[in-house]
Amino acid sequence: MANYVMLIDASRCTGCSACRVACQMQWQLKPDMAFNWLEHREYGEFPHAKLAITPVQCQHCDNAPCQKVCPTRATYKRSDGIVLIDHKKCIGCKYCMLACPYEARTMDNEKHVPEKCKFCAGFVEKGEVPACVSTCMNEVRLFGDLDDPNSKINRVMAANNVYQLMPEKGTKPRIYYLKR
Amino acid sequence: MQKITRRTFLKGAAAAGAVGAIPVYVGFNQFVQMAEKSEITIKPTLCNGCTNMCGMFVYLKNGRVWKAEGHPIHLKSRGKLCARGHGMVADVYNPDRVPGPMKRVGEMKFEPITWEQAFEEIGEKLKNIVDNYTGNAVVWMEHGVRGKRYADILLDFIGSPNYITHYATCFTSKTNVWANMVGDNLYGDHENSKYMLFVGRNFAGGIIPNGMNKVLKAKEKGAKLVVVDPRYCELAIVADEWVPIRPGTDLAFFLALAHVLIAENLYSRSFVRSYVEGFDEFWNANRNCTPEWAEEITGIPADKTRQIAREMAGAAPESFLETGYHGLNAHYRNSVQQAQMNVIINALLGNMFKKGGLLPAAELKLGSLDLVAPPAKTKGPRVDGAGVEGKYPTVEPSRGIPQLVPQLVEEGKVKALFIYHYNPLRTGPDPEYQKKMKNAELVVSIPTDWNETSLHTAHYILPESYFLERTELPVSTGGNITHEHPQVAWRQQVIEPVHNAKPLLEILQGIAAKIGARRYFDFTVEQQVKAMIKPLGITVERLAKAGCLEFPAAVEEGFPLFNGKPNLKTPSGKVEFSVGNYKVNGFSGVPRWIPPQVMPQGDDEFRLIHGKQPWHSHHITCNNPYLMAITQAYNGTWMWINSDRAKKLGIKNGDMVTVESSKAKKQINVRVTELLHPDCVWIPSAYGGFSEKARTAYGVGINYNDFIPAMVEPIAGSVMGQEVIVKVKKGRV
Repeated sequence: MANYVMLIDASRCTGCSACRVACQMQWQLKPDMAFNWLEHREYGEFPHAKLAITPVQCQHCDNAPCQKVCPTRATYKRSDGIVLIDHKKCIGCKYCMLACPYEARTMDNEKHVPEKCKFCAGFVEKGEVPACVSTCMNEVRLFGDLDDPNSKINRVMAANNVYQLMPEKGTKPRIYYLKR
Repeated sequence: MQKITRRTFLKGAAAAGAVGAIPVYVGFNQFVQMAEKSEITIKPTLCNGCTNMCGMFVYLKNGRVWKAEGHPIHLKSRGKLCARGHGMVADVYNPDRVPGPMKRVGEMKFEPITWEQAFEEIGEKLKNIVDNYTGNAVVWMEHGVRGKRYADILLDFIGSPNYITHYATCFTSKTNVWANMVGDNLYGDHENSKYMLFVGRNFAGGIIPNGMNKVLKAKEKGAKLVVVDPRYCELAIVADEWVPIRPGTDLAFFLALAHVLIAENLYSRSFVRSYVEGFDEFWNANRNCTPEWAEEITGIPADKTRQIAREMAGAAPESFLETGYHGLNAHYRNSVQQAQMNVIINALLGNMFKKGGLLPAAELKLGSLDLVAPPAKTKGPRVDGAGVEGKYPTVEPSRGIPQLVPQLVEEGKVKALFIYHYNPLRTGPDPEYQKKMKNAELVVSIPTDWNETSLHTAHYILPESYFLERTELPVSTGGNITHEHPQVAWRQQVIEPVHNAKPLLEILQGIAAKIGARRYFDFTVEQQVKAMIKPLGITVERLAKAGCLEFPAAVEEGFPLFNGKPNLKTPSGKVEFSVGNYKVNGFSGVPRWIPPQVMPQGDDEFRLIHGKQPWHSHHITCNNPYLMAITQAYNGTWMWINSDRAKKLGIKNGDMVTVESSKAKKQINVRVTELLHPDCVWIPSAYGGFSEKARTAYGVGINYNDFIPAMVEPIAGSVMGQEVIVKVKKGRV
């Protein structure tokens, strides 16, 4: 069984939002519903000011708060690490939306399910990479199987320092960010 | 029920209870099962999100567009697509497309008509106009140059010299200068470069996906990237340095760079000796343009200019000043001279025709179908004066001066207008002035959606098939980035037409049939395609399946020579620092300092500058719901203003302000930022839609074109779109 993780090099992101729309197409989402987004942070003073962009999406936490609060066990974790929602079990209570410290969930007002990034489950098993990864001109994201010793992500993770978002929450995210 | 929105998680979430028991629509597993059962077909074509025409594969599920991905071979996309590409494929189903031919029946009122009626009426009117006023009163305007191949046949038949493109609002200064000084276009070899200087060119805004990829690859290998721009543009994020410059003064910065290269003897003497004409004339005219002189004008410290020049020279010939695109080339009174300096700086670095410097595009020679040409007719001088003695002799006639057309209609010199995939009411200066076009005797717009020009000026709207619904002619792919091998790529029909639209050739065949010109359009796209690819030795089937094919011939380094002598397409065969064509028409042959036409003075005055956002292609994508949702998510319509300047005016982030020029007064929210030069305010070029029938774009944001009068830069004919001062005041005043 695979052990899927994602590595994001935020320093390469120039904010074009291809990842957002590629994902929307992949999952046939409405224009205002997106599974990934960008956090912009401006720092420093003119003329030495800078802008940093951090791409964010569901972190597929190993200790997922959304899973813990789900009263119907609609939110579940697969053995390959991907966190998904069983639409049949979901009652649309939105506890998961509130529990997620990353605010990664977004309400699907047609299906009445708090949706989120699925790590392109259904595609990655077939050897594809998620749409947000494959479309990116700057190769901001890397996706792969940590259990595969030959995978690129394994090599890059081993050779670089990485960090996770909000480690203090104890969520154990499966998305890592490259330290620059 | 409380609405839950996604706030920025960095601020932390305030938890509030919200419960709603709601039925389930479809389970994820069911979705996967359904998706797996559907028949999926994958077809190659070329994107239409900008003019780069990236190769893409479109996935269809049950005949409906599902998604797209970048073509892995195509040199512009190389497996990647930007947001526009994805948004464009979805937009084929946009409810705001023009569903079929329309005839105006009132102020912004149209009624559907048949194609036959449209052809009949347009044909008759066109014939009368040509009979009464000659073909010289007919103008074909388009973005350029996709319709030219067919438009030329029509224009030749009626005897009109008036083919006009949008380039006066884009890179017209650049193409004019390079044609005169180099006789060719050269492009940065980003991937192999050691030092890249980008001035006024946001590679991460106007995107070639593989271009950005190459820039980052070069950086991984240790190349330095410096961005000079009044705004911290998206490219600056990945740059080693952002050097803000006072807008409109890039020419002074370039003159100072050249000064350091020459005065400190850092330039390539061998290149100049062998391949440059007019060096002395240039140097004699600009000996006083020191970095200190430029500092007063540009605000860039003299030491910084020296550092950049020395570093570039150190890395030469594997260094370049990016040759640019829209940015700077249609913006100022000195746009032509700054474009000349682009050639001169690169030549001084001796980087031309060198790896890591500048290289030509790899091109394929395509064949063509033998057509029956219309009988030759005498054509008068161009109505816009482009290339015409006594008017605008140095402006390229192949580009034209579109901003003069409304005036020419008013003066009665233009009677019939064909406007193909072009929306000058929104993308040209001064929309109220542009509206005069409706007073021509015949105005035919050929768009896909209800753009401003169609709604406000067209007498007939003849919708063209969406790019996914039409097959065009193969293209030799190249330009703006380098690639070793030439490629041929093909835009092919991917889906069945959604509406009653037609491809351009069929539209022109229909009109031609009514004016006795049908026999000159007596061919099919299929015949043309076959003839075009014949020299390549490939079959139509193979190209259809592949979408893009690469050929082994390679771009070679080295200055073009013939019998050992420089052989550029210039009078001397060399790079000409002084343009004879400018001189004989009363302009300076070499660039000299020309200050911008206007400068901000008071506390509330700013230069209004604009640029491309990474997810919009100016206004053309503005009615795309997916791309506009990005705008909404990030306050993309907000006008940028420098923090210090805002503070002095009591303006805070998010405030509504009033922006006023001699032409317009509009309200917009502001982004107060440290990432912008104090002299200017910046707005994205995408917004300000005012077509009620393009509902996603309608009433969203403001556009720089509202604020500028129609002006013509005398050498290349650009609109000088940033020669405008606005007053900014807090609130609605």
